[in-house]
Amino acid sequence: MKALAINNLEKRYPTGVEALRGVSIDIEPGAIYGLLGPNGAGKSTLIHCTTGLAQPTGGSIEIFGHDAIGNYAEARQAVGLAPQEPNLDWFLTAAETLDYHAGYFGMPKRERRERVEELLETFSLTEKRDERTRTLSGGMKRRLILARAIMHRPRLLILDEPTAGVDVELRLELWHYVQKINQEGTTILLTTHYLEEAEQLCDRIAFIADGQIVAEGTSPELAARFDVPNLEDAYLALVGRKELSRSHIELTPDEVEA
Amino acid sequence: MSAAQIRFATLWRRECNRFLKIKKQTIGAPMLETFLYITIFGAALGSRIKHLHGIDYVLFVIPGLIMMAFSTNAFSNNSSSILQQKFQGAIQDQLSSPASPLELLLAFSLGGFMRGLTVAVLTFVVSVILVGLPVEHVLVLVPSLFLVGFFFSQLGVLIGVRAEQFDDVAFAQTFVLQPLIFLGGVFYSAALLPQPWETLTRFDPIFYMINLVRYGFVGFTEVSIALSLLALTAATTALFLFNLRLFSRGYRLRA
Repeated sequence: MKALAINNLEKRYPTGVEALRGVSIDIEPGAIYGLLGPNGAGKSTLIHCTTGLAQPTGGSIEIFGHDAIGNYAEARQAVGLAPQEPNLDWFLTAAETLDYHAGYFGMPKRERRERVEELLETFSLTEKRDERTRTLSGGMKRRLILARAIMHRPRLLILDEPTAGVDVELRLELWHYVQKINQEGTTILLTTHYLEEAEQLCDRIAFIADGQIVAEGTSPELAARFDVPNLEDAYLALVGRKELSRSHIELTPDEVEA
Repeated sequence: MSAAQIRFATLWRRECNRFLKIKKQTIGAPMLETFLYITIFGAALGSRIKHLHGIDYVLFVIPGLIMMAFSTNAFSNNSSSILQQKFQGAIQDQLSSPASPLELLLAFSLGGFMRGLTVAVLTFVVSVILVGLPVEHVLVLVPSLFLVGFFFSQLGVLIGVRAEQFDDVAFAQTFVLQPLIFLGGVFYSAALLPQPWETLTRFDPIFYMINLVRYGFVGFTEVSIALSLLALTAATTALFLFNLRLFSRGYRLRA
């Protein structure tokens, strides 16, 4: 059984825009799977279809064998989502954010209480537990969103550009969290614009462009597929910008000496 | 409790917690507004009008004010809660949970219902203490208030789901709801109006709601109670089913 099996997924918006055109992906349990593509390629739409925030117009999605479209309750129970844009409720405190989320997923009160304290501690938010989310810093919001996504112990965690716009320290911190969560057995689907992030974290990577999966494999397999030395050059080849490759940047005399 | 019961209770608790966190605005302000109406129309005008259809003017007015408080609070709570959550994106947390469209709709509806009920009950208690507001027909009053509250909760949900900006909610409240309520006979009897206003009042659905609630409290009505209850039940059911269809389709909630 696959953690996520997407077959021929299509999404056409009422405006006529075809965001997904027959996307198929299989993710094995326990994997960290990367989804790379330029802005507007269909990454977020694919995630929204998987989590019920968008309604596909064709194809199928199964999460650990459960139909995520027609009979979604079991499928959604297995998924945690950390979205690209911070979407915290301004009225809630950090602790309430986690508590309500777990309640939406049917977690009993005593278990919720213990899990909230555990995650506030893990994500260094204990001191902020009673502060409303709008008063938290950007980094704290990011950590709280990740904590919320795993609050109900999902088997599949979806991270939509989790490190977009964060500083180096927080990015590395988030990478550690992601690896730790994965080592505990959670399958992860990660979208990112940072190729080193994908290379560092992901077992397999898919390139998506114009609503279609155009290449899929490990980082070396993708480089070989595009006949280039690394993942970044493979990506540049995909988006038709080979001239931007770092191998074409001429070094200054100082850099050569160094 | 089952997982589904925990889920629904949490969704409902979130909606109630929201208005209780800002109770000065959501409970205090409507209470003050209602008592200002009672003071101005009951005490000031009441000293001149004395009786209407044999009932103390202040007692004639208060049932309409209770109905108005229930309806406007139920409406504004749900419309602004849903729009605010859409605006922040926070509604995604509920939408991506295993909650069914029915659970989501009921939870959003009951948040506003509870706020309206809180303001209505507080107004009722104070009115009993201050002016001895009676309850003549409790078997009409309870279902009438329940239906009025649930109808306006549904209307708030509908406007909140449809709205794309806060102006949309304000427009519905200021330019549609308020005039219908004020012209529905909260402060006067339709029989006192000259034609064509008396006839036009009878086209205002809120006129029937006010008369149901007034009959429940003071025993006076200008409409058929049975027909009004039937029509209100039908309208509330139709609106609920319409909203359920919107939630099932994900209309303006899911892309």
